[in-house]
Amino acid sequence: MLEIKNLHASVEGKEILKGINLTINPGEVHAIMGPNGSGKSTLASVLAGREEFEVTEGSVTYKGIDLLELAPEERAREGVFLAFQYPVEIPGVTTTNFLKTAVNQVRESRGEKPLDAVSFLKLMKEKMKLVDINQSLLSRSLNEGFSGGEKKRNEIFQMAMLEPALSILDETDSGLDIDALKIVADGVNTLKTKETATIVVTHYQRLLNYIVPDFVHVLLNGRIVKSGTKALALELEDKGYDWIKEETAAV
Amino acid sequence: MEVVDRNTEELLINHYSQLLETDPLGGLRKAAREAFLKLGLPAKKAEAYKYTLIARILGKNFDFTALTEPATSWKKEACQDKFYPNDEANHLVFTNGLYNQEFSKIKSSSADLVIETIDSQSLENIADLKQNLGALTDDKQDAFAWLNLATFSQGLFLHSLKNKDNLPTYIYHFNDAPAAAVSMPRVLALVESGSRLRVYEKTFRSGEANHLTNSLVEVDVKANGELRWTKLQNQTMADYAIEGFYGIQERDSRIYTNTFTFKTALTRNNLYLSLDAENCETHMHGLYHLNQTSHVDNYTSVDHTKPNSFSNELYKGIVDEKAHAVFNGKIYVRPQAQKTNAFQSNNNIILSDDAKVNTKPQLEIWADDVKCSHGCTTGQLDEEAIFYLRSRGIAKQHAKALMLNAFASETVQEVQDEHIRAEVENLILNKLGV
Repeated sequence: MLEIKNLHASVEGKEILKGINLTINPGEVHAIMGPNGSGKSTLASVLAGREEFEVTEGSVTYKGIDLLELAPEERAREGVFLAFQYPVEIPGVTTTNFLKTAVNQVRESRGEKPLDAVSFLKLMKEKMKLVDINQSLLSRSLNEGFSGGEKKRNEIFQMAMLEPALSILDETDSGLDIDALKIVADGVNTLKTKETATIVVTHYQRLLNYIVPDFVHVLLNGRIVKSGTKALALELEDKGYDWIKEETAAV
Repeated sequence: MEVVDRNTEELLINHYSQLLETDPLGGLRKAAREAFLKLGLPAKKAEAYKYTLIARILGKNFDFTALTEPATSWKKEACQDKFYPNDEANHLVFTNGLYNQEFSKIKSSSADLVIETIDSQSLENIADLKQNLGALTDDKQDAFAWLNLATFSQGLFLHSLKNKDNLPTYIYHFNDAPAAAVSMPRVLALVESGSRLRVYEKTFRSGEANHLTNSLVEVDVKANGELRWTKLQNQTMADYAIEGFYGIQERDSRIYTNTFTFKTALTRNNLYLSLDAENCETHMHGLYHLNQTSHVDNYTSVDHTKPNSFSNELYKGIVDEKAHAVFNGKIYVRPQAQKTNAFQSNNNIILSDDAKVNTKPQLEIWADDVKCSHGCTTGQLDEEAIFYLRSRGIAKQHAKALMLNAFASETVQEVQDEHIRAEVENLILNKLGV
């Protein structure tokens, strides 16, 4: 589904990603772990198309197409979804209005008819249950004055509405209390199918108790230096990142 | 280089000198004429016109030796075709700055709302009219108000009688500019105790030449009366306007103004409100959404002279291409005006490198037990927010429009009339290209 080859990216002339290689197949969950500043969020941003990052080398192929050629909205329409580490507050735009615009623009790009008010509401009601989010929150301005947990739930709610093929969760667990974390993880697990793939970018192993990864990759200084199964995540939780740094330095 | 001839004022006013002899306002006109000549058009150093070099702009775009006063080419039907589809309303027409009763459609009974032409006849007969006309501009030092008073003819008098809830009143200005022309419309509105008057104003034109409007609205709202006034300014790049609005409020009264500006070569709005009694409430909302080289200057002044009144001012601006927006908000709180609540804010979004905004809040507070705040912001659209919307599949242009529309909506919601509100909403969306 996704093939990242020798990906280099920089921001303001500073190279952050220094040759990432990663292949993701449908149905898989990949966790990307690493200390702060290792490039985890940059990788997520580059995949979603954030414009301040410049890709200097390498390629990203998604479902056979060159992902890097697409504008952020085109990627979303092709089924790529980024759950933001810091969801943006947008005053004056309600979540409902925003999602209706988004869902219908995505549908339109696929040659489908836009949803009318009734079917949209029905879809919304159905997806709201997944993340236990209530109506009053959705009629408020997007993320404005939401608690950290509400913002993250809103991200997963949007994911449920857009039904992406490739979801990238950027530090979705950071700052979440256990209850909210369980709700978010349940939502993600319910949305998972044999055709979809998930990238979980996280600093903490905790989330991986709830969203169980098939593969764990350690990102260090812009490169994937170690890959393994979920046992690797546990080892990292236990021993920290220093042993990998040493191991990498030795090589 | 100063383009304006020193005699601009005389050229401008001599054109109308026959008025001095012909109506009972002769004495008032004479005084106004002298005041205008004495003050002159605001000079380059005039603080109130700092960012709008009005004399220079007018001098550059109008030849005051060759101004025309065209007869109207508008036909009654053509004007009435432009009326908003509202039968339960008054539709009043000005042609070239003169109130045109024949073209107007009046629904209100004169027992509720008196609608009169201000001319020599009415000045003789209506005591209220003569007493009020020009009274509000008296102590205002703006040359354009004097110019209007010295030169207007066939003004409009709206008299909302006691305890009447009046039908909405639309005022349409139809101007002709086959060659450069000037119009001087004038409205006097008297809102009696406990009554309500709602007015919506809009302008149309024919011809391609430059046109200058120097309009003046004076409003006097008596105890517990309510006045709502909305101006929709969406003209052409050949339209220049100075629009004065002077209001005075008695106790427990309310004034709401909405000023929307979309297109103009130059528009200067002078909004002066005097809260001259206790428990008055004033709301001033404005939105300017400009591109090309439109230049809009909103100059507002709120004067609290008595205790326990409330004023709230919110102007928002979206400024694109080479447009220039100016906002100047003055709030005076006089020594006796204790327990005043006065709020003001002006927020701008600049969309291009060549667009410009000058904003200046000015508070002068002499009373010590008041709540006042002011603030202005000027910035760009939040790139992170745009990326967020795009990452959900929303096209870039549409994402911007969503955000700008949300930004503007606070001012649009203030308009009660559904026709005007829909038109404003459409103008915003059209401008955003969605």
